[in-house]
Amino acid sequence: MKSKTIRAIFITVMIWLPVQYGIVGIVGYYQSEPWPAFVFPGFKSVYVYNEGFEIEQAYIEVWTEQGEPPVRLLPQEFFPELPLSQVPGFMRTHFLTDETNRQFSNQAKRWLYQQAVQVTELDAALLDIVLEVNYYSHHPHGLERDSVTEKMRYTIKLIDQNEPQRTI
Amino acid sequence: MSLSERFNRWIFESWSVSAEGLGLLRIISALFILFFLIPGYGTSHFNFLADLPPDFYAPPPGPMMLFESFPSAAIFQWVHTILLFSLFAMLLGYRTKLTSILTGVSILILQGIIFSVGKVNHEILVAVVPVVMAFSNWGAAFSIDSVRRGHNRQTENWPLTLLALFIGFMMFTAGFPKILGGWLDPTTQATQGHLLNQFFVRERQAMLAEFMVQFDSVLFWELLDWITVLFEIGFLAAVFSPKWFRRFVAFAVLFHFSTMMTLNIAFLPNFLAYAVFLNWDGIYQSNLRLYRRLTGKRGERSKKRSALLLSAVVGLLFFLLNRLSSMDLVLRESDLTLHEVVFLFFALFVVMWIGIKKCA
Repeated sequence: MKSKTIRAIFITVMIWLPVQYGIVGIVGYYQSEPWPAFVFPGFKSVYVYNEGFEIEQAYIEVWTEQGEPPVRLLPQEFFPELPLSQVPGFMRTHFLTDETNRQFSNQAKRWLYQQAVQVTELDAALLDIVLEVNYYSHHPHGLERDSVTEKMRYTIKLIDQNEPQRTI
Repeated sequence: MSLSERFNRWIFESWSVSAEGLGLLRIISALFILFFLIPGYGTSHFNFLADLPPDFYAPPPGPMMLFESFPSAAIFQWVHTILLFSLFAMLLGYRTKLTSILTGVSILILQGIIFSVGKVNHEILVAVVPVVMAFSNWGAAFSIDSVRRGHNRQTENWPLTLLALFIGFMMFTAGFPKILGGWLDPTTQATQGHLLNQFFVRERQAMLAEFMVQFDSVLFWELLDWITVLFEIGFLAAVFSPKWFRRFVAFAVLFHFSTMMTLNIAFLPNFLAYAVFLNWDGIYQSNLRLYRRLTGKRGERSKKRSALLLSAVVGLLFFLLNRLSSMDLVLRESDLTLHEVVFLFFALFVVMWIGIKKCA
């Protein structure tokens, strides 16, 4: 490759890198982080609340029709096939969204049923998606959890795999 | 010296690697990707994604939006197979430039599909390294290409500068949002907050995590916040000096090691890129000296044989480590893997060894 071409590549890259970073910022703000992009994770959150920390934790509760106490699972326990690094993002995108985006097709409800049965070995009927906020503060012997509040809870009615056949 | 001359010097003279050094780098990189950095977790992971309903297809803005749902398991297997073939060809140095680019593109496609669950992992360097290094002529030695007629032994140094630029800039993008997010505010201990998040939410509780959760020194955590931001921002400036860039890469190893010990995040893909900046000529020469001392052979053939022997040993070690790691014998409660821990300890050892040698 000619040195003139290589220089041109470098100049293009040196212009492109900050431009694409700007695009990542804008698109990421309004939608979600674009890909592929030459960026590393910012981890910009500081999780600080007054003089302590607030940490959000999602749970999935599996309910049966028999009214037994629900089985409470961490998202990574409900979706064990997903790499742990992707679980919070998966939850945020599909389950911890605002009300208008919580639409699940029958196909998705069937799939969630299957997943719930596979993980809990129960005849699941409902899923509760729960988001809690844990507050930690400094104590003489280290950090301790002070309190927990429930930030979000909604229910997904699952569809049994056999249900469509029964209705037919 | 004019600005143009300085620019040229930076591009073309910052780094210098011989055909033999690049050949070794190519082989070790291909083995590293093959055993540890292929995107996804194999067939069961691909089948899981292929079975996901379209509701859960959330591609990041970009080319993956052209599709409406996850591809079938057969498509995953096709891309995976193309990746394996191109990676093997890159390892053997067959049509190295083409197969290195194909390796990078296949990795990108697999990553794109996997990231369409709604979460992008920042592992693009795994694809960038083979694509950028394809232009260095890293197939000039210890390769099938090198025994073909009319082969070119001329190597290029500028891809290393380009790769350094990518790493430096990407590090900057990790540091800059932290400033905006309040990491430098003395009333916030962001690193400690992230530790708690990883520890409680993601249950990353292996290594020193539990000890660090109880380590409640505001000064210590604030210092870590500042060091992290300065290190990540400073990486970009270091791109313009090979000496400083190597120092930052060495510090990056310490940084990732401490992150692994506390947050249980290893970020192994970065090590593929960091490894490019090792002194590969020095590694080649040392290995050759050792081979000659052990075998007593001095001829021209010993050059190739020493490199092939080293590659075979590394390949065998990687294979064994891969098998051991997949057996899940240790770190069962953690999402850290055995090979990540081994590599980070090894990288720490290498950095300390180089540091001690420089100081002595």
